[in-house]
Amino acid sequence: MSARTVLALARVEAWLLVRSVLVLAGMLAGAVVIWFLIRPTEPLWWRADWRIGGGQLVLGMAVLAAAQLNAGRPRRDAMAELYASFPATAGTRTLAHLIGLAGAVPAGLLLLGAAAVVIQLSGAVGSASIAVLAGGLLLVIAAGAAGVAIGVRFAHPLAGVLGALALFISSATTHLASGGGIWLLPWEVFQDDLSQLPGRLTGYPPAGAHAAELAGLAALAAIVALAVTIAGGRSRARLALAGVVAVAVICLAGVLQGRPLPTAELNHLVTEIADPASAQDCVTASQARYCLYPGFGRDLPSLRDPVNGVLAHLPARPAQPLTIRQAALPSLDGTFTHGHPDQQIARWNTQLQAAPGDATTASAVYLSVGSWPAAGGQLADARFDVALAAADWAVRLPFPVASGQPCVALDQAREAIAIWLAILATRPAGSELQAGLNGSGGGFTATEVSNTMVRTWNYPGISAGYLTGATPQLTAAGYLLASAMTRLPEQKVSRVLAGAWSTWLNWHTGDARLAAALGIAMPSVPGLPGLAGPAGNAPQNPVCTS
Amino acid sequence: MTPNVSTAPVGLDGLSRRYGSTQALDAVDLALEHGITGLLGPNGAGKTTLLSILATVNEPDAGRVSVFGLDPRRAAERVQIRRRLGYLPQDLGYHRHFTVAGFLDYVAILKEITDRRRRAEEVARVLAVVGLEGRARTRIRALSGGMRQRLGIAQALLGEPGLLILDEPTAGLDPEQRLRFRELLSGLPGDPVIVLSTHQADDIAAICPRVVVLLQGQVHFIGTPAELAATAAGRVWAADERGGSAHLSWRGGDNRWRHIGDQPPAGADLVAPTVEDGYLLLCHAADAR
Repeated sequence: MSARTVLALARVEAWLLVRSVLVLAGMLAGAVVIWFLIRPTEPLWWRADWRIGGGQLVLGMAVLAAAQLNAGRPRRDAMAELYASFPATAGTRTLAHLIGLAGAVPAGLLLLGAAAVVIQLSGAVGSASIAVLAGGLLLVIAAGAAGVAIGVRFAHPLAGVLGALALFISSATTHLASGGGIWLLPWEVFQDDLSQLPGRLTGYPPAGAHAAELAGLAALAAIVALAVTIAGGRSRARLALAGVVAVAVICLAGVLQGRPLPTAELNHLVTEIADPASAQDCVTASQARYCLYPGFGRDLPSLRDPVNGVLAHLPARPAQPLTIRQAALPSLDGTFTHGHPDQQIARWNTQLQAAPGDATTASAVYLSVGSWPAAGGQLADARFDVALAAADWAVRLPFPVASGQPCVALDQAREAIAIWLAILATRPAGSELQAGLNGSGGGFTATEVSNTMVRTWNYPGISAGYLTGATPQLTAAGYLLASAMTRLPEQKVSRVLAGAWSTWLNWHTGDARLAAALGIAMPSVPGLPGLAGPAGNAPQNPVCTS
Repeated sequence: MTPNVSTAPVGLDGLSRRYGSTQALDAVDLALEHGITGLLGPNGAGKTTLLSILATVNEPDAGRVSVFGLDPRRAAERVQIRRRLGYLPQDLGYHRHFTVAGFLDYVAILKEITDRRRRAEEVARVLAVVGLEGRARTRIRALSGGMRQRLGIAQALLGEPGLLILDEPTAGLDPEQRLRFRELLSGLPGDPVIVLSTHQADDIAAICPRVVVLLQGQVHFIGTPAELAATAAGRVWAADERGGSAHLSWRGGDNRWRHIGDQPPAGADLVAPTVEDGYLLLCHAADAR
């Protein structure tokens, strides 16, 4: 086997991969996947770098198919007999195909680089892990090596397609694995727990060991490909030895990935979540306190503006100051706690249940870590949610939860005032607000209060989970009155509110009284087709009464 | 003079190959000298098997092959043989998405021509030899069948092989291309050993100093084209009417019947036999056995 021949062939094969339409399509599809995985969420590097790997998985599928096509080319094109007459043996060609996988690296690097730049420019929190990013590239190479191994044995293009499909399925069936086992799959794309971490957790995911596993898999696939094509007892013996080493690396990497996370790391994580004050940096502005985990300062302006907008229109502020605080992971699942004793896990979960994000108070708004959008319509929704939460605090709308049901400020003027304040603070599109009268399926939404069906209103972003804990269920009547208030001169409304502020905050003060004070007719609420009576045994929402 | 199997550049000694119940080659002894040897035989005679063994692609069940004194059973010597080999298999496929020059460059690497400049010169040379120099950047899928065949010949010529094995090289070529092919083979430098398998007896007659007829896996004739034609001497006639006793008869362009057989039809004139006549009589004799 001539090294010069191998390298010359590898150069050609690499160039074929570089120009492969499949690889180009895989790179573009990978970019789209990364975009969809990272776009709607806050750019946290400890989540984003792993999700870049999700895009590399798609590229890897394309590289696998392309490598299989290249390796199976002589047989598929009826040229096997001619190739067999050349001094360059099948083993030489296979080795060249394997080295030629370097041609897929530019696509992987381009994908990685572009994603990293986009994430960094969007103000990413934390820093990228080289081990995770390298793991994504190794995934592409390992997939390519698998493609070569398939191609030297099976020339039909369907074999490559099936190989790519197997790669996808193996990475999309994480529900079949548990604990540390999920990291043994080629790439765990849908690992959502990363989203709720307030910072990078050492050893989670076990990126270094996973990269070693992928390197071992790449080597094993390459060895299989060579074993199929190389003749000669001595060569095969060397390959067998190399195969044993590769399997040993894979096994060792598997063991390392399956190791429990260090207790000290989990203790630290639980403390950070259960007692956020010990870890968060707090800033006070306009009598509101913002407490964020280190690195999240980028969120401060987009949090402060809507809150200030609400505060600016208040005739009087509550005695208790408002705190806006991040809250993280409400519980630890098996991917964190595997290998630890049940009692220890129970202790951690007990601590987490006492975390403030899961309790409700009248003076704090809790933000889900990692859910604050970077830009666009989702950021506008999130800003409205924070403004509404601040307005609820301002009008003393409580957040009690009874039997898991949020309370309803039924016929309470303060509800309309809170919505009006949030609208003034953030100026959302009227059509978006109006859309909240209908359910996602286009029907009306309603809830049962005191044995009566009440038409409800869903504010923008209600289901996005930007805030944790319960918020009051808003009524259609409250929204319609608030909407009518926005059409009045702002000074007039402010004057009316300031004139009897304590009255408006009283939960007994109804919508009609506020409408009358403003000199407008109470807007009529559309009927509830098919939902006129009580819904039988369905749980009822309590009325907000404090 | 029949070349000696042991001293000829390429020798086959007692070569046999069986596929299941079919004896493709049966104790073939053959010595191939420098120059062109035409290999004639009907379909299934064992020509392709013989050529694939010569090309080190296939292995015999029995017998010995020697190429330039090298034994293809030994791995190292097999590679040595392949370095001096040009092979055009029958029914060759192509990487249709490659360009003509790209394909030849790739094959040149497979032939261990690793120096880029030498490879480029070699590709340019063979493209000129087969008249495809204007198609270097054309994708193979855009070539006609004849052009692809010329490309196949071009790849076989890469590296100026000492042993050139061509299995049905003129299939798909138009008459002008066939003439160009004869010119090409006749003008190859270095006096290589060329084995040309074809069904075209006139190609053999035109350019092969030696012809081998392979029938049912056995060599039935070795000699010059003239000697092959001579085997039919006195057994080929031209007549106005079709006779009943001919092994084979057909009406020629002169509107007279050409009879090949042992008995002449009435009023027939004895005519000079051709290579094709000799070959047909050999085939008939083998079938009759």
